Amino acid sequence: MTTLLQLTLSGILVGCVFGLIAMGFVITYRSAHVFNMAYGQFAMVGAYMAWTFLGSPDSPRFPLWLGITMTVLFAIAFGLFVERAFFRRMIGRPLFVPFMLSLGLLALINSVVLLVWGPAPLALAETFPKGPVGIGEITLPQEYLWSFGVAMAALIAFVFFFRNTKLGLAFRAAYDNQVAARCLGVSARLNSQIAWIISSLLATIGGILIASVQGVSPLLGELAISVLAVTMLGGLDSLVGCIAGGLVLAIGGNLASYYLNTYVQGISEVFGVLLILMVLLIRPAGLFGSKSIDRV
Amino acid sequence: MRTRGKIKRDYGRELAVIRTRTHWFILSGFLIFLGILPTILTATDNNSWLTWLNFTLITIIAVLGLNITTGMAGQVSLGHAAFIMVGGYTVGILTTKMDWPFWLALPTGGIVAAALGLLVGAPSIRLRGFYLAIATLAFLLVAQFIIKHLDITNGIHGLIDIPAPTISDFKIDTDLKWYYLILLLAIGGVISSVNLTRSRLGRAFSAIRDNDITAPSMGINVYLTKVTAFFIGSLYAGIAGGLGASYLGVIRVDQFTIFDSIWYLGMVIIGGAGSTAGTVMGVLFLRLISQCLHIVSMGSWLPSLGAGFWISINYAIYGAAIITFVSFQPYGLIAIWRKWQAQYKRWPFG
Amino acid sequence: MRGKMGQFFEITVSEGNHMAPDGTGNKNGTIVAGRDLSLSFGGIKALSNVDFQVRRGEIVSIIGPNGAGKTCLVNCITGYYRPQKGTITYDGRDITGLPSYRIARLGISRTFQNPSLYPHMTAFDNLMLARYMHTRTTLPEAMLFFGRSRREEIEGRRFVESIISFARIQDLSNRTVATMSYGQRKLVEIARALAMEPRIIFLDEPMSGLDEVMKELVAELIISIRNQGITVVLVEHDMQVVMGLSNSVIVLDFGQKIAEGSPDDVCRNSQVTAAYIGGIVAGRSC
Repeated sequence: MTTLLQLTLSGILVGCVFGLIAMGFVITYRSAHVFNMAYGQFAMVGAYMAWTFLGSPDSPRFPLWLGITMTVLFAIAFGLFVERAFFRRMIGRPLFVPFMLSLGLLALINSVVLLVWGPAPLALAETFPKGPVGIGEITLPQEYLWSFGVAMAALIAFVFFFRNTKLGLAFRAAYDNQVAARCLGVSARLNSQIAWIISSLLATIGGILIASVQGVSPLLGELAISVLAVTMLGGLDSLVGCIAGGLVLAIGGNLASYYLNTYVQGISEVFGVLLILMVLLIRPAGLFGSKSIDRV
Repeated sequence: MRTRGKIKRDYGRELAVIRTRTHWFILSGFLIFLGILPTILTATDNNSWLTWLNFTLITIIAVLGLNITTGMAGQVSLGHAAFIMVGGYTVGILTTKMDWPFWLALPTGGIVAAALGLLVGAPSIRLRGFYLAIATLAFLLVAQFIIKHLDITNGIHGLIDIPAPTISDFKIDTDLKWYYLILLLAIGGVISSVNLTRSRLGRAFSAIRDNDITAPSMGINVYLTKVTAFFIGSLYAGIAGGLGASYLGVIRVDQFTIFDSIWYLGMVIIGGAGSTAGTVMGVLFLRLISQCLHIVSMGSWLPSLGAGFWISINYAIYGAAIITFVSFQPYGLIAIWRKWQAQYKRWPFG
Repeated sequence: MRGKMGQFFEITVSEGNHMAPDGTGNKNGTIVAGRDLSLSFGGIKALSNVDFQVRRGEIVSIIGPNGAGKTCLVNCITGYYRPQKGTITYDGRDITGLPSYRIARLGISRTFQNPSLYPHMTAFDNLMLARYMHTRTTLPEAMLFFGRSRREEIEGRRFVESIISFARIQDLSNRTVATMSYGQRKLVEIARALAMEPRIIFLDEPMSGLDEVMKELVAELIISIRNQGITVVLVEHDMQVVMGLSNSVIVLDFGQKIAEGSPDDVCRNSQVTAAYIGGIVAGRSC
């Protein structure tokens, strides 16, 4: 029973982090109409840049607050760069075109990261205090709690931005109906930039959180599969669905790994993929996504 | 300026690919060129170009299949590498563990891959666009997982010592002999692909690619057509995979990754989606880049940077090429070619 | 022969009309009929208990204010929507709920409100598409080309050329659809529906967005189609066209059928005049 509770709780913690990361994907899908297959690479770049600024445990560089700030600034710049260099041209083109471009971007970013930092995994300097924490009979790794905390803080910050700032309001309007927003004076270009900045920020935060547990390596790109699983399950155009999807993926993954690992070795690595297949076969729009009715 | 009339005297002439005597000349010349090509390539006593050509021809067969599924029928498939993998493994298993002759194993490999294509195409009754693409990607990952964990496929180690095909005493064991076999199959692939484009099925593919909502109003069974597109595409891929496995002699799961699927899609798009000639151009384009990089990497004037470095450079250039073409010339190389052709015909009227 | 539109139509219709408006003396039966059709989207009732009949060889118009359910009705008949209740029969055979490609193959073809031609193909190639259901080439035959595939292609081209001359769109034949005007696209789409060799053809707002000259061309085409023995069902807003062309009119409002009968009868129906604001059921007979 305690194992079940432990698996579920750690799943909730990790799931919320996944959910937050997945929101970055949903935002570019709905705002910029781009199905960004390179999103996992964004997270990877963010994590590697964090490593560049913070260093590894044996040879740290900048202090934590400075390193994180610089990484965040980099993430914003990166989002702006990607928007200007690649995706602004894609506005108005059929959906397959930016999709294909994001595939090319996936390959490009992946290779550049490998060229600059090499294929060997790196350890990230200590961002969170490590070690297990006991809550009653359950032990959870401290990093999970800290990650959860950071994710929640980020979530609250974004909600605040959307609800209480003029920029946020404009973004929300455009998110719902871009054409109407343009008529009301919301610049399409600004909207696009905000979307990509937020996406890049969320990816970077997610990348750092995952890396502080798993280490920095090219495998971080596989975050993309988890993000796909979360968004398929939650619904491609639903932010709320991201949290739901994240929870299902994390808790389900924990349970599957624990109970099924004896039958199918390595089930955890393929759990996300199986989840995707299940969702697509049963209810492609996901839990909270909108089904479209084609009018002829 | 030479005048060119587009006067066709009958429907048959209009449909034909080879329409004039000049066309026949060019075709014969090209075939002769292909015949003597290996001698030209091995003139410097280095087999590297011939090996490259053999792999390129195999890739052409595989990507022609993807061109049918994605370029002609519009069903984006990120799982194409999986069909090639399945074809290769089928041939590998049949020839190494069951002593089947290559000539029986190869078509079987194609059929097995095509059957899998039916399976992958099945969800297209409910899935469209991105959802279908993600489903094909999921299929690729599941296929990789399964093959890594099966005993019959030797898990992650893959199969080795896949025997060369034989016809009684004649063994196909040199690059040159392989060349003619692969070339024959590649020509067959090109011809059947071109024929498909000008058939009723090819038109149905275009219809469902451009608007699959209104296509049924013309009596087209959209679902059947989509599944057929997957079937044919994976058939080509399976045969290519089987050829590749026998040619290389080994096969491993990590030869077939999502990156490979991306390159195949890239070749289709860079060449020109839907066009057979375009696909050949796209494959040649990217493969030439690889070969040039390979030659540069062998150069003695560079410090030894390791294989990983050159692979990453290769991938980076591939990615950049895809981005560039998608951004600036999404209709592909074939569109550039046709523009030049039209300008030449109108010269000097520009 | 030009002059006012209505005048033109009346002359030609009575010349070609072999059927008395009240149905007496005609040997033609019902080709398509609907009984008790109901269709809802979520909470919105698009069609409620609609009954109607289309007789063979007639030109029938479906009219009604915007949102009355006219296109919904056509979509139900042609298999794009599935009604929750009711039946649709074709030549006496129940076709409710059949997939749209099956219905097309039975000889029912249609056009769409927004021309659904393939913009990167020529008009000729678009029409060749319509020959799909009349050809039998299988996959291996297609890959070989020489043999049945080639034969059917050549036959198809011959047939398409005949449709092109029938519809008088020879000058559009080799042009890419993307270069055509809206009216030209509508003509080509009707031609494509014809190339399917249908027995009944549904035209969804063929006159909308056209100028007077194009409207006359389309009207002429509709009459030629009917004279070939093909039943024509129009969804239309243009009352002059409806009154001038139709043998029978079906009126929908808020998803319900409020009138059905000859143009004159429908005009005199007070419910119909009420449904149209200000009683703009123009036409000479009203």
